[in-house]
Amino acid sequence: MYSILQLFARHGGLITLLITQVVSFYLMTSQNGPQQQITRSSWSWYSNWVLEWRNRWMDYLSLRDENIRLKMENARLHMQLINLHASEVPVRDTVRRQEAFDSLGKKLVRPEYVVISARVVGNSFSGRNNWLILNRGAKDGIHPNSGIISRAGVVGIVREVSEHFSLAMSVLHPQTRISAMVKGYPFYGSLYWDGNDPRYLTLSDIPYHLPIRRGDTVQVSNYSLLFPEGHVAGIVDTAYRPQGSSFLHIRVRPTQPPASVREVYVVTNRYAEELENLTRATQEKQ
Amino acid sequence: MKGNWFFPNLWRFLSLLAAQGLVLSGISYNTDGYVSLLVYPLFTLLLPILMPIPLLILAGFFMGLFVDFFTGTLGLHASAGAFSAYARVIILERFAPQGGYTGKEPIASPAYFGWRWFLSVSGIFFAVHLLWYFSMAYFTPVYFLSKILPQATLSWLSTMPVVVVLMRLFYPKN
Repeated sequence: MYSILQLFARHGGLITLLITQVVSFYLMTSQNGPQQQITRSSWSWYSNWVLEWRNRWMDYLSLRDENIRLKMENARLHMQLINLHASEVPVRDTVRRQEAFDSLGKKLVRPEYVVISARVVGNSFSGRNNWLILNRGAKDGIHPNSGIISRAGVVGIVREVSEHFSLAMSVLHPQTRISAMVKGYPFYGSLYWDGNDPRYLTLSDIPYHLPIRRGDTVQVSNYSLLFPEGHVAGIVDTAYRPQGSSFLHIRVRPTQPPASVREVYVVTNRYAEELENLTRATQEKQ
Repeated sequence: MKGNWFFPNLWRFLSLLAAQGLVLSGISYNTDGYVSLLVYPLFTLLLPILMPIPLLILAGFFMGLFVDFFTGTLGLHASAGAFSAYARVIILERFAPQGGYTGKEPIASPAYFGWRWFLSVSGIFFAVHLLWYFSMAYFTPVYFLSKILPQATLSWLSTMPVVVVLMRLFYPKN
């Protein structure tokens, strides 16, 4: 109480002025038409401004969540796109393109892919055997022997899966071999790293008679078990026929530089294991 | 504050209120509000110099509020009255004689300080009052250059001669 009196003794004039102004403002805005109107419109303007500012701020704060949502949405769309591609069967009637169903009436969506977005949290690219670590694991639905792609190209193959993380062979690993082809030619070969220059991959087993040129696109072939068909893998840098060979030696520049990969998609072919078992069983019988 | 200060101020209050509410505000209506003769702040200006500031502000506020009852602009003159009362403290401080106000000069009248001093003090005091009054009347800074400033200037030019005439006529000493 004493301190309030002291405050009033020191700043009584200012306090009285403020009180009288507040009372006057109240009387003005409640009793006088023009002031009332101006106050109302100003109030709505300011409240709109504050609301807009608040919304912007909230949008900014939710950017991280939005980013995750977008990545999930992207993965879903990728999955649809890949599976759509897988179900495209070149059957046409004379009137319109039909969606293909087999004789059992089932839609042809094999192989079927599941796409999960992930982030590269560990990456080596200067050694002989290079590995990637992804921030997704078994809990997120990642299986070993899944392909890893980015928007720009191929990235690697998942080898080991823990609860929350996955270890993958980079394309810069000599054991990573991807069934690939040069776009526009119906021949497929093996895309791999020869262990020398990390800027280039090698595409082998492409017949020498094909007029492959620098700049041609290298993409995943339709025989790949792990990667979706048609996904871009690289650009032809040089192509030549080694002496005495029936195949070309094609040097490919990967469209996704292994050193700068960050956001990726793990692509799992639901039938990969079944296909592998089938192949293995056939090989054992022979 | 010595002597009989209450009644002279009460008469000033009543006569200025009557003059403002019954006569001078009519002039404002005739000019569509463009020129306002506002002499009632003279009451605040002529209140005792050594009056406590909160009381001074309350006096200015109530003077304005009573004028508002006449003009139907509740709160408008009250706000300006309180504001100019607060401004009076600062203005008088600026124009204080050497050694400050001792109480020998009870009110800010030309009878004690001379006409030049009074014209400077009242000129600034009325300018502040009119500017605040028109700012509150338009209630938005949008019209400051187009309406508030010109109207305040015109009103000041028409109010000040009336103030001088009144001071010449009554030449108040307390």
